[in-house]
Amino acid sequence: MEMALWGLVFSLILAIGLAVVRTFKVPVLNQLALLFISFFRGTPLLVQLFLLYYGLPRIFPILVSMDAFTAAVIGLTLHFAAYKAETIRAAIMSVDRTQMEASLSIGMTNMQAMRRIILPQAARIATPSLMNHFIDMIKSTSLAFTLGVTEIMAKTQMEASSSFYFFESFLAVALIYWAIVSVFTQIQVRLEIYLNKAY
Amino acid sequence: MKKIILAAIMLATTTVATLANAQTTIKVGMSGNYFPFTFSKNDELQGFEVDLWREIAKRNDSKVEFVTVNFSGLFGMLETGRIDTISNQITITDARTAKYAFSQPYVYDGAQVVVKKGNDSIKGINDLSNKTVGVNLGSNFADLLRKHDTNNDITIKTYDTGIERDVALGRTDAFVMDRLSSVELINKSPLPLQLAGPTFDTFANAMPFLKNEKQLALRDKVNAILDSMRQDGSLKTISVKWFATDITVK
Repeated sequence: MEMALWGLVFSLILAIGLAVVRTFKVPVLNQLALLFISFFRGTPLLVQLFLLYYGLPRIFPILVSMDAFTAAVIGLTLHFAAYKAETIRAAIMSVDRTQMEASLSIGMTNMQAMRRIILPQAARIATPSLMNHFIDMIKSTSLAFTLGVTEIMAKTQMEASSSFYFFESFLAVALIYWAIVSVFTQIQVRLEIYLNKAY
Repeated sequence: MKKIILAAIMLATTTVATLANAQTTIKVGMSGNYFPFTFSKNDELQGFEVDLWREIAKRNDSKVEFVTVNFSGLFGMLETGRIDTISNQITITDARTAKYAFSQPYVYDGAQVVVKKGNDSIKGINDLSNKTVGVNLGSNFADLLRKHDTNNDITIKTYDTGIERDVALGRTDAFVMDRLSSVELINKSPLPLQLAGPTFDTFANAMPFLKNEKQLALRDKVNAILDSMRQDGSLKTISVKWFATDITVK
């Protein structure tokens, strides 16, 4: 859970950066962003976690000191930032062009217009899709057991392997996931009401 | 001023002294979901491997820290030095021996075919032609099956979890697992399963260490302790506790 929350914060920051770079087609950075998105959307999360935690330390021995939790957060962040960047870019594009033109006409710089006018409107549009990604991220934390983070899913498997109550254990864990996601769905509803105030 | 310096020096020396006396910690990796070798009950890690390592650590006057990682991540942990060894019934194979230094074998076992209760058409390895056979991800039973599969007509299905449930449901004809776990699984679980015929390919399980000076020294210590545990019967005691039989001899 904590993993998902950290992942949410970092991936959102990274994704906004990537989306802005892609929108303005900033030279060099745009190409790097494209490569980044292509790689992290194009390979499975499990493979990325393996490369990050077991692969990189063989090239850079210093990285052995990175703990599994950190590695899982970094992996989740990079993976979901790639998806979120495209969602946010779509939201930015859906804000009418005239908004940007009007902002520039009153003397705002590109970045000011982005921050004050475009992104707040894009946030409203992006919220439902971003929540989708976040829910997906919560459920993806179960992959962290491959790195040795014993989270809820791993605990379930370990207990079930001795008690043989497989059905009961997995049903219980399903209900817990569902409850957590329900809480965030409520937060999403509140957030959407808040963002829709102006409309 | 002098007193402060003196105090600081004394403090520093005592810290160094305590550090030098502090017990070393051996980090042992295991999957935590391989009953009854390593599993968790009421949030407490236990099993054959856990008891064994507690005893090894006690005799070595060191501490032991158990690191639970999904099986597919265990060798990555070993390779990157995050754990000292793996205690998860790792079978000695040529490919692994080329890469790792194994301790002496501490468990001898054989591969066992298990089928759904009432399925008497499969009586062992030779009846698996044109059948679907499950093996666990990362285990070496797939290789073992291929070796016996001279006509190349066994369909091998790889599982991460749930292998025994698919066989009990009849989705998969049989699974191959080590004999000990199979017996344990059939005894303890409510699933309708039965052993199919005798075991094939006896093999030895041991703990892999990295081939560097420090880890080899640890390996030698572990070997010496295993020798002494064999001699005074404590290795057998741990085995009987979990399996009601001595699995540590051939």
